[in-house]
Amino acid sequence: MGSSSRAKSVTLGIAAILTILATWEILAHLLRVPKYVLPPPSSIVETTLKYFSYLSANLLDTLFHALVGLSLAASFSLILSLPLAYSETLRDAINPLIAGFNAIPRAALVPLLALWFGLGGVPKVLTAFLIAFYPILVPTLTAMVTIERELWEMLTSFGATKGQVLVKVAIPRSMPYFLSSLHMGLTSALVGTVIAEMIASDRGLGYVILSSTSRLDTSLAFSCLMLLALTTFILSKTISIIEKRVVKWAYRAST
Amino acid sequence: MDPVIRLSKVTVRYRNNGRGFLTAVAGVDLSVMPEEFVSIVGKSGCGKTTLLKVIAGLIRPDEGEVFLNGHAFNGSKKKIGVMFQSPLLLPWRTILKNILLPIEILGENPEDYVERALMLIERTGLKGFENSYPWELSGGMQQRAALCRALIHKPLLLLLDEPFSSLDAITREEMWILLESVFLYEKYTTVLVTHDIREAVLLSDRVIVMSGKPGKIKAEVKIPFSRPRSLDLQYTKEFNEYVAEIKNMLGE
Repeated sequence: MGSSSRAKSVTLGIAAILTILATWEILAHLLRVPKYVLPPPSSIVETTLKYFSYLSANLLDTLFHALVGLSLAASFSLILSLPLAYSETLRDAINPLIAGFNAIPRAALVPLLALWFGLGGVPKVLTAFLIAFYPILVPTLTAMVTIERELWEMLTSFGATKGQVLVKVAIPRSMPYFLSSLHMGLTSALVGTVIAEMIASDRGLGYVILSSTSRLDTSLAFSCLMLLALTTFILSKTISIIEKRVVKWAYRAST
Repeated sequence: MDPVIRLSKVTVRYRNNGRGFLTAVAGVDLSVMPEEFVSIVGKSGCGKTTLLKVIAGLIRPDEGEVFLNGHAFNGSKKKIGVMFQSPLLLPWRTILKNILLPIEILGENPEDYVERALMLIERTGLKGFENSYPWELSGGMQQRAALCRALIHKPLLLLLDEPFSSLDAITREEMWILLESVFLYEKYTTVLVTHDIREAVLLSDRVIVMSGKPGKIKAEVKIPFSRPRSLDLQYTKEFNEYVAEIKNMLGE
C-alpha cells in the first residue's frame, strides 16, 4: 500500500467514526434519551475526564492481569505445542482433553477459581489464561503439523530426524501463525479478566462497569468500554508492528 | 566397480482404499554406476516417482532390496541430494542459509561450507543473491538455489524428480546447460525422473523406459554422445532418432 492511499484510508476511517459519534450525539438530544439509558458521547467524554485518575488506575489493573494471563497463555501454548507437534500419539491422546476443556464456558469457572484462590488477582489472571490459550494453541500447532509433504521428503531423504524437522522447519513456520493468534489471544484475555472482575473482584474496569450500572451511572460504564476498546486497539497495533518486524517473510506477498 | 545404487527385484504396493493393493512397481532391477547419469522416463502414474522414492529411502519396498554403495539402507544420515519440481526453499532463510540446510541436518558445521556454498552460488549464476530471500527471486533462480542445496554436501547420489517441469521452455534449457556445466567440475551419480524425453536424451548416459500398471522397466537406451553437451545437440539427426525411439517405446 502506498503512503498516500494509506493516509486516505486512515482519514476515511476517522471520518466514519466521527460521523457515527455526531449522529449519536444529535439523536440522543433530539429523541431526549435519558442519560442512564444511553448517554451521548459528550457526556461520556466529560465523565472520562472527571474520573480520569480513578479510571486509569482501574484500567492499569485490568491490563496488568490480562497481559500476565496472555503471557502465560502464549508461553504455555508454545511449550505445549512442541511435544504435541512431535508426537502424533500424544496429539491423539491430548486433543479430546483440550477440545473438551474448550467446550466449558470459562466464565462459569470464575466462582470456582474465586473459591480456590480468593478474590483478587489470581482468578483474574487464571480466567484470562484459560480463555486465551486455546485460540493461541490451535493455529500454532496446526502450522507446525502441516508441513508440505515434499519438504518433509526432502529433509528425510538426507536423514533429518523428527526433532530436526521440528526445529528447522515446524517452529519457524508456525511463528507467523503464533504471532497473529496473539490478536485473538489478547481480546480473549481481556474478556477473561473483565468477566472475572465482574464476578470476583473489587478492582478493575469489569468491577467499575458492574458497580456503575447498578448505580445507573451509565456514562461511567461507557467510559470503561471506550477505554477498553481503545487499549485493545493500541495493543493489537503493537502486535501487528512486532509481526511485521519478526516474521517479515510471511508478508512477502504484500511487499 | 560397484554400483552406487542397486535395486534388486523391488516391488512396492499401495493400499487401494480398502479394496486390496495396487502394485506401483513390480520386480524392478536397476543399478547405477559411479558418475553415471541415468534418466527414468514414463507416462504419469507409471511408478517412476515411486521408484525414485525407493532409491531415496523414503519408501521401503514390500519385496526386494536396495543397496547404497553395497550396503543395505539403514535409515541413518545419508549423503543424498534431492531436487523436486518445486524448489522448497524456506522463506525465512536467505539463499545462503537455505543452501546450508543439509549441512545443519547432517550435523556438520555450516561455517566450514560457506566457501563451497558461495562457489556453487557463483557457478549457478546467483552471485549477489546469497543474502536475498527466496521470494525475492524468480522461479528459475529459486530452482538454481535448490540445485546448490542439493549439491552442497557433495552427495553420493543426486536425485532429481521432474526438477524443471514447472519452468518455462527457455529457463528449462538454461537449467539443462547449467547442470551440464556444474557436472563438468564435479561428477555426480545422478538419477533423473522426467516425462520430457528431450531432457532425458540431452542429459543422460542411459535412459530407462518404464511402462505402467504395474510399473516395470520396459527398455534401456544408452546415449553415447560425448560431454560436455550443448543445446545444439537437439538439432542433430542422431539426437532426434533417440527421441523418436524412446517415444515409440512409450507409445506402445
